Amino acid sequence: MPEDSEERNKFIKAYTAMVLSRTLDRKIVTSQRQGRVGFYTPTMGQEALQVGASMAMETADLIYGYYRDVPLMLHRGVPIETIINQIMGNDSDRAKGRQMPSHFSSKEFNFMSVQSPVATNLPLATGAAYALKYQKKKNIVLATFGDGSSSTPDFHAALNLAGVFELPVVFLCENNGWAISLPVERQTKVEIWTKAEAYGIKGVKADGNNFVDTYEKVNEAVKRAREGKGATLVEATSFRMGPHSTSDDPTKYRTENVEEGSEKDPIVVSEKILKQRKYVDDKMIENIKSRTHKLVEEKFNECEKISPPNPSTAFEGVYKNTTWMLKEEVEDIL
Amino acid sequence: MTEMNMVQALNSAMDHLLSKDKSVILLGEDIGKDGGVFRVTEGLQSKYGEDRVIDMPLVEVGIVGMAIGMALTGLKPIAEIQFQDFIYTAMDQIINQMAKLRYRSGGDYTVPMVLRTPYGGGVKGGLYHSQSGETYFAHTAGLTVVTPSNPYDAKGLLLSSMEYGDPVIFLEPKRLYRSSKGEVPDGEYKVPIGEAKNIKEGNSVSIITYGSMVPTVLNIVEKHKIDADVIDLRTLLPLDINAILSTVKKTGKVVIVHEAPRTLGMGAEISALIAEKAIDSLLGPILRVTGPDSPFPYRWEEYYLPNEKRIMKAVNSVMTYG
Ligand SMILES: Cc1ncc(C[n+]2csc(CCOP(=O)(O)OP(=O)(O)O)c2C)c(N)n1
Ligand SMILES: [Mg+2]
Repeated sequence: MPEDSEERNKFIKAYTAMVLSRTLDRKIVTSQRQGRVGFYTPTMGQEALQVGASMAMETADLIYGYYRDVPLMLHRGVPIETIINQIMGNDSDRAKGRQMPSHFSSKEFNFMSVQSPVATNLPLATGAAYALKYQKKKNIVLATFGDGSSSTPDFHAALNLAGVFELPVVFLCENNGWAISLPVERQTKVEIWTKAEAYGIKGVKADGNNFVDTYEKVNEAVKRAREGKGATLVEATSFRMGPHSTSDDPTKYRTENVEEGSEKDPIVVSEKILKQRKYVDDKMIENIKSRTHKLVEEKFNECEKISPPNPSTAFEGVYKNTTWMLKEEVEDIL
Repeated sequence: MTEMNMVQALNSAMDHLLSKDKSVILLGEDIGKDGGVFRVTEGLQSKYGEDRVIDMPLVEVGIVGMAIGMALTGLKPIAEIQFQDFIYTAMDQIINQMAKLRYRSGGDYTVPMVLRTPYGGGVKGGLYHSQSGETYFAHTAGLTVVTPSNPYDAKGLLLSSMEYGDPVIFLEPKRLYRSSKGEVPDGEYKVPIGEAKNIKEGNSVSIITYGSMVPTVLNIVEKHKIDADVIDLRTLLPLDINAILSTVKKTGKVVIVHEAPRTLGMGAEISALIAEKAIDSLLGPILRVTGPDSPFPYRWEEYYLPNEKRIMKAVNSVMTYG
């Protein structure tokens, strides 16, 4: 083993976040089947690209993410409890279970609250980027979305605005090959990264299965943004190894799939990269996996014991000052 | 006759339409290979082909705009928006094109099409898979808005909508998709647009409701043996004013139930119409039992939806009034 180098530490941290996310993913999916969790959108297959992107970001940078960004959040340092409490909608969830599972939020780590209507976060990201530029801050915005989301009006509006105003924003398209049942080839006639040119921003493609490649491409984009050179669209290609969500049955439309542990599994790819550089050996990998497994079990059980929020919380926080109508209605309801 | 749930009834209506008329086209997200996220279009693509049951890219404004263009050019589209909550980017097409083409072209261009979308809560969908946005559509001249509460009406209304000659917003109460079952004719029949149905007769109180709240109201009325006249509106625009006025004249006491938020919900319009046209028949205040003026929550949705406690409180309060 080589000495502790900066890169070695970074890579081990990245790999650990991927394993943690994968372990948590499996735990949540199993628990959903047991009726302990209502719903979930698994992230399996997108770990490497998200962690790669996260490696290029600072905590003060703003993330406008989407519902599949668990690996990114975990790598960023968002506590695993924040994620589990949101999934369970318990009393410790910041939003008190108001949102469906997978709709995370962590202001502490500058991870914007997630919405369901896809790509509606992208115009917001341009506004945030404008503000950072106006305030002469060196921080930037990272906005993530899926391949299907590139068909929306919001995507095109946001890229155009980022071009016109030369904004410090990086658009990360997490191309997992599918939008529920629609394969990306039926979503668009061209590769998504090439759409950047039409808006006068930079477009690049990254191998989303390789966290180093994604890190390098996103890092380059982040540097450009910080230097005031404008926006980049990074398309990182990977696989959606699981179903779209726990409500989805992919056998209806998908014949082939990337199996866990196979050569294309980004965790397997990452292990190879770390081993090639002699940053880890099999024993260390086993160690990381068993430690992670223990942590997930422990935290999951802890969070599961937290009581549900008070029903009244469902009707709070709509406004700074609640309306008389809602007050009257809630009196009737509770 | 076959016993069906609402999903099967809608599927049977579209199967019938596709088989009868080559100009009928279905378009929407995940409606083909996947059969729709609620399985409403199951099996139709393999039966009628990919050019007639179209899996669309993820762009609601494109789905609706393209459907309008098809309708303008001799096709008979049935477009689907996966959840009503995701319809908003298409609102410009709906309000400014779909609803206004007949008017602005002196009747030269019309938009005979149906826009189907599941709406309403009670399926643990949270803020964005639970909305009841019927008021947005019912507030738009040029649109026609219908919502069935059972499989028979679902098929009959869909068949009528396709022959209506103007665009119909077809709101499907997703909570009832599988829970509501009933006998449905195998062939063609119509449930007329613009006609409410008096689904239970009574003399002491009128309960006016529609869509997903209909079975809830009926269960409560039966359980508590209330002598209620229950109206299922079925069409929200235009409202069946005759059905509303005749029940008010019969009972003099009115409770309106819907899950959409109270402020400017359908109940507001119904109350105003009754106040304008039948105030002399009223023997008490018109009461509304509705969703509150807050977003639809994931957890505690049972508190959001009108329930037995709240409906009974309103019914008892008008029945004992005066
Ligand atoms: C505007 C909008 N339309 C439809 C949906 C329903 N829906 C949820 S996820 C999804 C597919 C998204 O695909 P993609 O952008 O590739 O992201 P992925 O889920 O594959 O990560 C669809 C159609 C939605 N959430 N928002
Ligand atoms: Mg995708």
